[in-house]
Amino acid sequence: MAGQSGTGTSATRRLGILVIFLLATLALCGLWFSAEDVVQGSTVRIMYVHVPSIWTAYIAFGLTALCSGVYLSGKNRSLAWDRVAGASGEIGVLFVAVSLVTGSMWGRLTWGTYWVWDARLTSTAFLFITYVGYLAVRQLGGTHRQRARRSSVLALLAILEIPLVHFSVTLWRSLHQEATVANPNAKVELDGLMLFSLFLGLVAFTMLFAWLVLHRQRGMMLEDAFSDRGLDVAITARRNEAGA
Amino acid sequence: MDLTPRTATEPGAQPPVRKRRWLPIVIVVGALLGGGVIVTQFLTSAIDYYCNVDEIGVRSGCDGERRMRVQGVVEQDSVKQADGGTTFILDFNKKTLQVAYSGDPGGVFQECIPIIAHGRMVDGVFESDRIEVKHSNQYVEKNATRIDESNKEAAACSVLQG
Amino acid sequence: MEHASFIFGSWGITAVSIGVYAIWVIRRGRELAKHATREEMPWT
Repeated sequence: MAGQSGTGTSATRRLGILVIFLLATLALCGLWFSAEDVVQGSTVRIMYVHVPSIWTAYIAFGLTALCSGVYLSGKNRSLAWDRVAGASGEIGVLFVAVSLVTGSMWGRLTWGTYWVWDARLTSTAFLFITYVGYLAVRQLGGTHRQRARRSSVLALLAILEIPLVHFSVTLWRSLHQEATVANPNAKVELDGLMLFSLFLGLVAFTMLFAWLVLHRQRGMMLEDAFSDRGLDVAITARRNEAGA
Repeated sequence: MDLTPRTATEPGAQPPVRKRRWLPIVIVVGALLGGGVIVTQFLTSAIDYYCNVDEIGVRSGCDGERRMRVQGVVEQDSVKQADGGTTFILDFNKKTLQVAYSGDPGGVFQECIPIIAHGRMVDGVFESDRIEVKHSNQYVEKNATRIDESNKEAAACSVLQG
Repeated sequence: MEHASFIFGSWGITAVSIGVYAIWVIRRGRELAKHATREEMPWT
């Protein structure tokens, strides 16, 4: 047995320390040093966790689709791609949930309501539900290859929702403001430290995502290995039975 | 060595134990139902026409006394609060609309900010029972210099004052 | 700070939910690794 080293390596530990440092700096900048907004006041501080959360969810679902595509198109169809897709999808669901909750709280303070069935909010909720379904489909049973095949197809379909979510504010009349950073005019209208805090949030959350994916896909590799080992045990028992 | 699948007729053979995973099935069904509910809610809320102030009485669906959502900017110096209600003028594209809201609007409601009012036209006044405040994707640091600048900008937001 | 409960609440929800998930991922990895062979852990 390999002992208790877990899913970490010296590289992930270094990455973890960097993530903690970035998140601590983000908290200082976002909650303390950055100025209040002239219209929203302190409420703007919610943006520094809300925007990076949905950004990370986009990256996560993008990686899920990419790995699913590579799995389906690859010659050897390595299950490693499927595990990264699964780990990334799981983390994406967490981040989109965080984005929905923090967005709802921000909405209460600025719009005056927690929720409206507006295009951006509705499409984001639909995205969340879709990927919860994706995670459930991964658990439906069958062999690892069956799991990989069906979830890869679903991931490639689900990714089509991302442009819908992102451009919903321009496609429909929406209560939600247009994208602050990735907008069609490529015009970022954020002052000084507010802009720095937002970009720091994007970087910190992206690194956090990378750290989580590395650990989670290794955990999934072990889960698969143990599941295979259970099958090996059954085959060995059958062989022994046949040989007796 | 015989590795062919066992059948239930084999003497002494245990029936195959098929572990059905119910939770993922329940979650998949829940996700499908949830998706349906979300789409239905969106479509139901979209029944109310979404009109800009300048489209009232002009665009199809934005006329009559039907329930609708009206988008515009709160006119400067127009907000008045009395008897638990709030009245103000909403403008968009140089057209104005008198709004009467039954309550105190929440969020960052203020003059010169874009809002969406839900309600219906009654005798030339838009009687609203719900107000949602929009905020732009522009964020400006609150400090003395900026406040002066934004006050100047606010002064220029009025349609009536030119 | 105005609306402090909402602001700290949203940051708190973010930190707690991601933190709890991260701890679960690490603990699950350690638990599984206890019973794994070196061949099953190519990163070691």
